[in-house]
Amino acid sequence: MVAVHGSETEATVVDNRQKAHSNERYAALVWRRFRRSITGMIGLILIIMLVLMAVFADFFAPMNPMETHESFSPPQAISFHDKDGNVTFTPRVYATAETGELDPVTFQPVVGPDLEHPRLLGFFVKGAEYRLFGFISMDRHFFGSTDGQPVHLLGTDKFGRDVLSRAIHGARISLAIALSVVTVVTVVGTSVGLVSGYFGGAADAWIQRFVDIVLAFPQLPLYLALTSLIPVTAPTNVFLTFVVVVMSALGWAQMSREVRGKTLALARIEYVRAAIAVGASDRRIIFQHILPNVMSHVIVAVSLQIPTVILLESFLGFLGFAVKPPLISWGLMLQDTATYSVIGSYPWILSPVAFVLVAVFAFNALGDGLRDAVDPY
Amino acid sequence: MALARLNAFAPETRFDHANRNGDPILDARHVAVTFKVEHGQVEAVKDISFQLYQGETIAIVGESGSGKSVTARTVMGLLTKRARVSADATITFNGQNILKFSPKARRALRGNRISMIFQEPMSSLNPLYTIGSQIVEAIRVHSRISRTEAEARALELLRQVQIPEPEARLKQYPHQLSGGQRQRVMIAMALSNDPDVLIADEPTTALDVTVQAQILNLIRDLQQARGMAVVLITHGLTIVRKFSDYVYVMQHGEMREHNTTPAIFADPRHPYTQKLLASEPQGRARPLPNGASPLLIARGVKVSFMMQHGGFFKPDMRELVAVDSLGLTLCRHETLGIVGESGSGKTTFGQSLLRLNEPAAAEILFDGERVDGRTRKEMQPLRARMQIVFQDPFASLNPRMTIGQIIEEGLIVNGIGKSRAERLDRVQDALEAAGMPGNILSRFPHEFSGGQRQRIAIARAVALDPEFILLDEPTSALDLSVQAQIIELLRKLQDERGLSYLFISHDLKVVRALCHRVIVMQHGRIVEEGPVADVLSNPKTEYTQRLVKAAFEIA
Repeated sequence: MVAVHGSETEATVVDNRQKAHSNERYAALVWRRFRRSITGMIGLILIIMLVLMAVFADFFAPMNPMETHESFSPPQAISFHDKDGNVTFTPRVYATAETGELDPVTFQPVVGPDLEHPRLLGFFVKGAEYRLFGFISMDRHFFGSTDGQPVHLLGTDKFGRDVLSRAIHGARISLAIALSVVTVVTVVGTSVGLVSGYFGGAADAWIQRFVDIVLAFPQLPLYLALTSLIPVTAPTNVFLTFVVVVMSALGWAQMSREVRGKTLALARIEYVRAAIAVGASDRRIIFQHILPNVMSHVIVAVSLQIPTVILLESFLGFLGFAVKPPLISWGLMLQDTATYSVIGSYPWILSPVAFVLVAVFAFNALGDGLRDAVDPY
Repeated sequence: MALARLNAFAPETRFDHANRNGDPILDARHVAVTFKVEHGQVEAVKDISFQLYQGETIAIVGESGSGKSVTARTVMGLLTKRARVSADATITFNGQNILKFSPKARRALRGNRISMIFQEPMSSLNPLYTIGSQIVEAIRVHSRISRTEAEARALELLRQVQIPEPEARLKQYPHQLSGGQRQRVMIAMALSNDPDVLIADEPTTALDVTVQAQILNLIRDLQQARGMAVVLITHGLTIVRKFSDYVYVMQHGEMREHNTTPAIFADPRHPYTQKLLASEPQGRARPLPNGASPLLIARGVKVSFMMQHGGFFKPDMRELVAVDSLGLTLCRHETLGIVGESGSGKTTFGQSLLRLNEPAAAEILFDGERVDGRTRKEMQPLRARMQIVFQDPFASLNPRMTIGQIIEEGLIVNGIGKSRAERLDRVQDALEAAGMPGNILSRFPHEFSGGQRQRIAIARAVALDPEFILLDEPTSALDLSVQAQIIELLRKLQDERGLSYLFISHDLKVVRALCHRVIVMQHGRIVEEGPVADVLSNPKTEYTQRLVKAAFEIA
């Protein structure tokens, strides 16, 4: 803001500024600055796409993620050629099949694309039935084969389930865990941080020692110990809730420390003193003066914490401690990659890594963009 | 009047203006600088020209935002990448247009032939290196001499800038020096290569008044000894009057007027210059009505902080006494000034009267009621009657609240006004009383300039209809002409509403214009008090004498 100093014929100055800024609200200012960050915008678009994909997973997934086909079938490439090699405009995939010939040296059957039976692809095709949001019965899919035959763009896993469809469904659980953990962490961390930073003194000292202990905990063994407490027979939703609680219990400390630092600085700033001087209560000062000014930092911290939780989930899932079948999550899908021989022979089952990568990048980019934009004054 | 004062404090040896006909050492012509911003560009400097001759001091005067610092940075080649200097601009130094120089050639010039001193001596020195090594580096960047030679030269420079015990200072770190000493070190570094031109950008603004005088005298002595040319960038008119030979007045990036210093003060031509010269705080406080009753009485106020010395195993808590058994009596309709340098405890003392900090011992009576020892809840009934205005208008308004919310808050908290409409009426009245339009309720603080924000802060205090306002340096963050308006406003509000002010300031000129009585503080104690006229015209203690001399003769 270029402040107009000097000639202070108030009315004219006020008029000019009214034209220049036309009462921009805080959100508008932040948005204007955020739009300037290219990576931030890319991150935001990716996140919107991810969230849409997770919410409408049944629609976007070409297959039913539970349905089994041929196990470990390799990814099918989208082709624009018919069996004679001519270019066509209807995209198609060819299933892998034995060509009927034998390798002249080893006499093993030779495997190749089954050119006789192309599976034509199309958008908004009829496929496996599902219930959107649990009650609207539908069978349309975003894309798939026009005649309902299986299409495996990313291959299948050891049970013959479509990896792409599972990864799209897995986004649901992975993002849901991340968002619920971060919500709990934010609420608890912000409240503790505000109280600790605003009231200070002995309460602050004790709270901060407790935070120190939580931060000093060897987190990984604790996760493993706590999750193994849950009986294997527990229903999936209980299991999931427990995972969220455990992750939140260890995650709030960092957030509370950041909020406390900011609150400490704000509690001594002059507009807070001015509020004390007019007689405002602690409650009013915290909610009217400190919380709104801390909020921007919290939003940034949140968008940077989500990727950590996604990574943690994929790691714990890989170890088999986060989500149990029949639920699907990215981490759980990666559990199959634990043996060398599997990765060596069927590398496509690593493809959930790409989803994790994109999600983590998107949230980090959003967080970076927000960090530069939240303090427009 | 201007002439009389000018003669009294005119420097003994003036630059001979007959010399202004020869070749200038630095000749800037048609300099225009634009900055790229979000929507288009801002013209920070618009087609200005100035000349600087050997052995002369020119002053570039203007308020904040007038483009004077940008001008200095253009000469130094220190503009940011967003800045564009116009194509037809020329800055001729020793016959060469330095704007056409390569970056390398400009670097060779910078700190060597043309040096600069900055406003903030705290952040201009690297805290990780000793004073000695920083001066030695400045010397060795431009001249190939051995380290020992450079050290000897650094020592000589520290002597010239009159730092006590220069040998010991060489091995010290910046934090071990006071603000004034750091600025001396900066000057030593600027002079390390015998520059032809020294640019001083607000060199004393961050310093205490008594130190300001010493630094400016030092610059002048060094200039005369070395025959340097000096560009003094400042907003302080007394500094200009005493230390410069030729004055350029800038406003909104344009050169309004230039002339020799005596001519400008005697006969300002441009309306802006006239306004600037007239904006020194004028007038005196109106005499108090007879038999004014005391409103605020404080006795034995002591505020201390516990500081931990020693380590964990040998804890050693020491008491740092910020304010030591002070007392004052403030009558109704009276303005009492508290002056002192930074660190003298005047703000701590003032805030303890409002119970914004916890005095260790005190007896404070407000309108006959004991204020000390009350809890925050018990203070509540008194809050509306005693208010405060802070120094920094940028920190005292919550950026996330609208002007309406900010001012209304006090009314809500104190249960004034039955309905929202009634409260908003009062808010508008308060804004209008403070000289702001009443239609800005839904705007945010960042849309206003410093002076306007300070008016809003005053409106917040006035909205509660208080009897007493603590004014904690309300004008020191503001430009001179704005300062005068705020003082006028405070005076008007006092007349209309019968307010009592406790006015904390380090600026004796403002105190003289506004206060009835004054208390002079040093190191948490009162060294002198009495009616303003008596204290200022006949200061008894040496400290007060220094303050008065600094305020009315140079700073």
